[in-house]
Amino acid sequence: MKLDRRNFIKLMVGGAVGLQVTPLPWKITDDIAIWTQNWPWVPVPAEGAYDHEASVCSLCPGGCGIEVRKVDERAVKVEGREDYPINPGGLCPLGMGSLQLLYNEDIRFTGPMKRVGPRGAGVFQNISWDEALEILSGRVNVLRRDSRPEAVAAIDGNPVESTASLLIQRLMQTIGSPNYLRVPSFEDTDRMVNLLMQGVDGPVAYDLENADFILSFGCGLLEGWGAPGRILGLWGKWHDRENKRKPTVVQVESRASNTASKADQWVAAAPGTEAALALGIAHVIIKDGLYDREFIEQKTFGFHPWNAADWKEHQGFQGLVLSEYSPRKVQDITGVPAERIVSLARSFAKAKAPIAIWGKGKGDLNGSLYESMCVHSLNALVGNINKPGGVLVLDRLPLKQLPETPLDPIAEAGLKKTPVGAAAGEDSPFAANLLTRFNEALSAGGPSPVELLMVFGANPAFTMPDGGSMRRALKAVPFIVSFSPFRDETAFMADLVLPDHMAFEKWSEIIQPRGVQYPLYGLGKPVVKPLYQTQDAGETILKLARRLDKAAPEAFPWKTFEDIMAYRAEGLFEAGAGLVRYKPAQPPWSWKPFAEPAAGFKSSKDMWQKIKASGLWYQPLDHQRAAMTTFKTPSGQFEFYSTRLEMKLKDLNKAPSSDLVCMPHYAPSSPPSDSSRYPLAMVPYDMVNLVSSWLPNPPFLNKTLLPEQLLKDASYAEIHPDTAKAYGLKQDDLVQVESVAGEVRVRVCLFEGAMPGVVYLPFGLGHTAYDEFSRNKGVNPNDIIAAGADPLSGLPVWWKTPVQLNKV
Amino acid sequence: MVIDLDKCTGCGTCMVACSAENNVSVRPDESDPQRRLTWMRLYKVTNGKPFPETEVSYFPRPCMQCDHHTPCVSVCPATATEMDYETGIVSQIYTRCIGCRYCMAACPYHARVFNWWDGYFPKSKGMTRYLSPEVSPRMRGVVEKCTFCHHRLMRARTKAYAEDRRELEEGEYITACTEACPAQAITFGDLNNPDHQVANLIKSPYAFRLLEKLGTEPKVYYLSSKDWVRKLGDNFLPGQFEPVTKVKMG
Amino acid sequence: MGFIGSLIVGWVIFPMVLYSKQAQPMNFDHALHMDPERVFGIDGDTETERCLFCHAFRDDGTFAGIPKLENCTQCHDDPDMPLGESEEEQAFLNEYVADEKEIPWLSYYRQPDCVYFSHIAHVNMGQMECGVCHGDHGQSEILPPYEENRLTGYSRMIWGKRISGFKENTWDRMKMDDCAECHTEKGQEQNNACFVCHK
Repeated sequence: MKLDRRNFIKLMVGGAVGLQVTPLPWKITDDIAIWTQNWPWVPVPAEGAYDHEASVCSLCPGGCGIEVRKVDERAVKVEGREDYPINPGGLCPLGMGSLQLLYNEDIRFTGPMKRVGPRGAGVFQNISWDEALEILSGRVNVLRRDSRPEAVAAIDGNPVESTASLLIQRLMQTIGSPNYLRVPSFEDTDRMVNLLMQGVDGPVAYDLENADFILSFGCGLLEGWGAPGRILGLWGKWHDRENKRKPTVVQVESRASNTASKADQWVAAAPGTEAALALGIAHVIIKDGLYDREFIEQKTFGFHPWNAADWKEHQGFQGLVLSEYSPRKVQDITGVPAERIVSLARSFAKAKAPIAIWGKGKGDLNGSLYESMCVHSLNALVGNINKPGGVLVLDRLPLKQLPETPLDPIAEAGLKKTPVGAAAGEDSPFAANLLTRFNEALSAGGPSPVELLMVFGANPAFTMPDGGSMRRALKAVPFIVSFSPFRDETAFMADLVLPDHMAFEKWSEIIQPRGVQYPLYGLGKPVVKPLYQTQDAGETILKLARRLDKAAPEAFPWKTFEDIMAYRAEGLFEAGAGLVRYKPAQPPWSWKPFAEPAAGFKSSKDMWQKIKASGLWYQPLDHQRAAMTTFKTPSGQFEFYSTRLEMKLKDLNKAPSSDLVCMPHYAPSSPPSDSSRYPLAMVPYDMVNLVSSWLPNPPFLNKTLLPEQLLKDASYAEIHPDTAKAYGLKQDDLVQVESVAGEVRVRVCLFEGAMPGVVYLPFGLGHTAYDEFSRNKGVNPNDIIAAGADPLSGLPVWWKTPVQLNKV
Repeated sequence: MVIDLDKCTGCGTCMVACSAENNVSVRPDESDPQRRLTWMRLYKVTNGKPFPETEVSYFPRPCMQCDHHTPCVSVCPATATEMDYETGIVSQIYTRCIGCRYCMAACPYHARVFNWWDGYFPKSKGMTRYLSPEVSPRMRGVVEKCTFCHHRLMRARTKAYAEDRRELEEGEYITACTEACPAQAITFGDLNNPDHQVANLIKSPYAFRLLEKLGTEPKVYYLSSKDWVRKLGDNFLPGQFEPVTKVKMG
Repeated sequence: MGFIGSLIVGWVIFPMVLYSKQAQPMNFDHALHMDPERVFGIDGDTETERCLFCHAFRDDGTFAGIPKLENCTQCHDDPDMPLGESEEEQAFLNEYVADEKEIPWLSYYRQPDCVYFSHIAHVNMGQMECGVCHGDHGQSEILPPYEENRLTGYSRMIWGKRISGFKENTWDRMKMDDCAECHTEKGQEQNNACFVCHK
């Protein structure tokens, strides 16, 4: 057949007609439609068996009970647990989004690494664990052979008293270096308040569940304070429509934060003057005779005037408060109207179970010691200590002490050396090692006294409120070893990285969640197998210790890190009672007799297995009554005047210059050298939906930020419209916030709830490390905080920095 | 669903829980509300008073699952969304959606969001590893919205079927935000079942719905004892808003 | 001429081009394994109950789907002791049981990711036999090759073996309309709501 025009058309028409009676066009239309619905790059999550793993969250000192939902071996979601006493089923945003920290390879170290690029660039090369440990132990051994063990330093961000933390201290002792430094946190302030006023070197415990009037001095109750799962849960319970015993919550804060707004009353005291307000309230309570006479007379020291053994006259707390802190005077200091102070004091003192609490923001950073003492003296005035709804004096958890560390002569000599930047004296008699001073000493120039710095569970280059002096210090140290699981700012400066597991890949303890009033030991379990070539930092330390010359092996007789945790937990078994199951119907904070008999354990091993299964060991308050009767101060009383401090100062040949040194009082923070240059105050604030600790931010949290908090890469400063007007600023204008320490560039957010004259910046933004989800988003207020030292504690003063605004 | 705004602390856990539960994509820049994907969104409101009487409050806003003239359903040209008369839940079928965004224009609550890009779960980061198989990840060009965690209803039903039950108990099916809220501000249940707590809660004089006057009959109720918060829930003519003066306890 | 040519293209060549064929990793004799005489413990009055012996429901009602190796090793527990005489079994023991390796089965009936399907709703509540959707797969002695649509990536069983798309039996096709048709027939119209089957 010839293919002419006619035939061609016939062929085509025939073909076209024929195709219609084949399935081809219909099937292909259908398939193409389906094809457009299934792009190969849109992920299809793998199916599998659904499972739940009960554990405890260790991402903050709050330690909520969590349940990790799994599909086969994959963890797909973290949910709250209802059989855990801290959080009634809910969680905080960080815990909720935490799988994004586990499963984001770009923000994690996948194995031991050494630096190959310039410092701070974050360019590393994979090495083996063997090589990594060899490098580190080699360096330590050389320093020890040169009898310079003190050139090793460690920064530790692990929770106080956690086994990881104790092990790091032990390592430093074995090496023989006194340069063990902790990242300052609120626990430091709390413990000092407790030690000075109540004589107990333990955490502060608040019985908020049973209080009916809560006077909070800047605590970010809704911003992540204490154990956030507990506080947010309580908030819900308090506001339950059927709750007839709803407590009154009063928030003292300069900004209309969530807590201030949602509280029953908001008292806007000028930032940094909270101590004066507390003493103003004390003035009214004393003057009106509203204080608990029985408690004051029988259980306190330093309230009335007294003559000391050397016949020195002391004025006493009563005299100090009555003479110096009249409501009128306090009004001038704080800006809170005198009548308001009077009515606040009366309603506080007349409440059945009033409690005054302290600790600004989340409590990740330290507080002011004297201010905290001022606030706590209110609790003493109303006698609400060791009573339902009050502050309880709680002993430390009865964990077994690790045996004494055996020291070799090199270590013994090294430990006697003066720590870097140490200053013992009136300005910080109880703290020899302060990270801020350490930084100053290192960044002062000249050869660094520290040659090897190890950083554990901390990201001080980001979290230290010190105007960047930590970063300068890191630059000065010749060799830095990071144990962080994350590619954070500090790890970027490291020369060697020995990455820890992420929280979900290892055992981790919660030793007495912050502020909780009954003894509680939480244990988080590995819910997934380690994804990468990482290693529990505890195991790394044990392996490192075995490679150190001499001394070390007998100091670390344990095989695994878990053995040490189990060893310490034997103390819980020996302490007798304790429960490992929690029933919501029988809360441990109830003061009613506890019906449930204490669980019987066959052995400490049996108990440990049960704790591992439930993630929990606790004692109800009812079993604690005997423990909370006495104050362990030198006078055996609650001390308005700390005799322990007086004795300590005398030991240091620095007799207190006045009575005030040993008593709660208000002292204005020293003004900057040129106050006309920095007429405004910058106050940083915490947000519950931003991580300001050493951990990265799960990207999900970026969704929760409002457009007036982060726009593209610019974060915002909240400023009162009047203040903005004075500087000619409008909403969204770019502005430079400048302090002595430096400047940051932000946008302006006009907020009526901001105190005039104050600039507010949120913590948690401004990362320079990690990945595109966090890097270079917003600014970090820590960069411009000109941290002075808080009197007595020596910890950084971060809550108020004099600044200037420059319109860009 | 009933959301108690007196309990709500504005922490944002509901938003995070929702995103984690429903495989909602996160992009490096989440600061543009027009582009950001959130099924549950937290709105901050203030009482507008000068310092120091300023107060802020929050409205968590899921899909309202409008019962009447469901605006998005009535405009969808592709029948990609419908209101199920049995469950009352407004569905969204991604494979059917043609991405015209008419529903977004129609929704008075801005409860719908558009995927301008394919879901961002970079393989190099391994972020696909936390994805839940219960919710299908979306591609670019489709609209997505809160489903009241419909898959959780299916999960609860499946469990009931395994026990040879057809009816669900109260609390067996709750949304991810309800479960996650640390202050337990959200209550979830069947509004038509008088035994369910929600049916009782909405009788409170403090109960209201957003833009109630539009007549869309949302299935999400709010509770607030604050007049100024309730007033922000709708547009009132002068004198039209009635503050609550008498409250019966219990 | 063109007409005939296009018929050949449409009916013969097109399906050959559209579907890729892949053999299963090994054969599995369903008929043999469903025989109570030969498989210890597999009793049950209905075929469905016997299917569930391996294709089980988990406690939470979810369907386990194709059995995992641990299911097989409940009987085939010793790699050196075959239970039958087939070479297939010996290969299976050598390759998978000995190494504790999962068998990479290719699923004939996998629905796309956007589909939610609850087996328990149909089997427990709907009292449906497996064969209604899966035909006589349970009586087959040889696993047919797995055919995948090159365009959509779906198994051929979704559209049905017949390229024409006509169906005679309930198990001939598994598309949305087929689900809806059955729901309607059984008086379960409420289950035709989108979200019942979509996720």
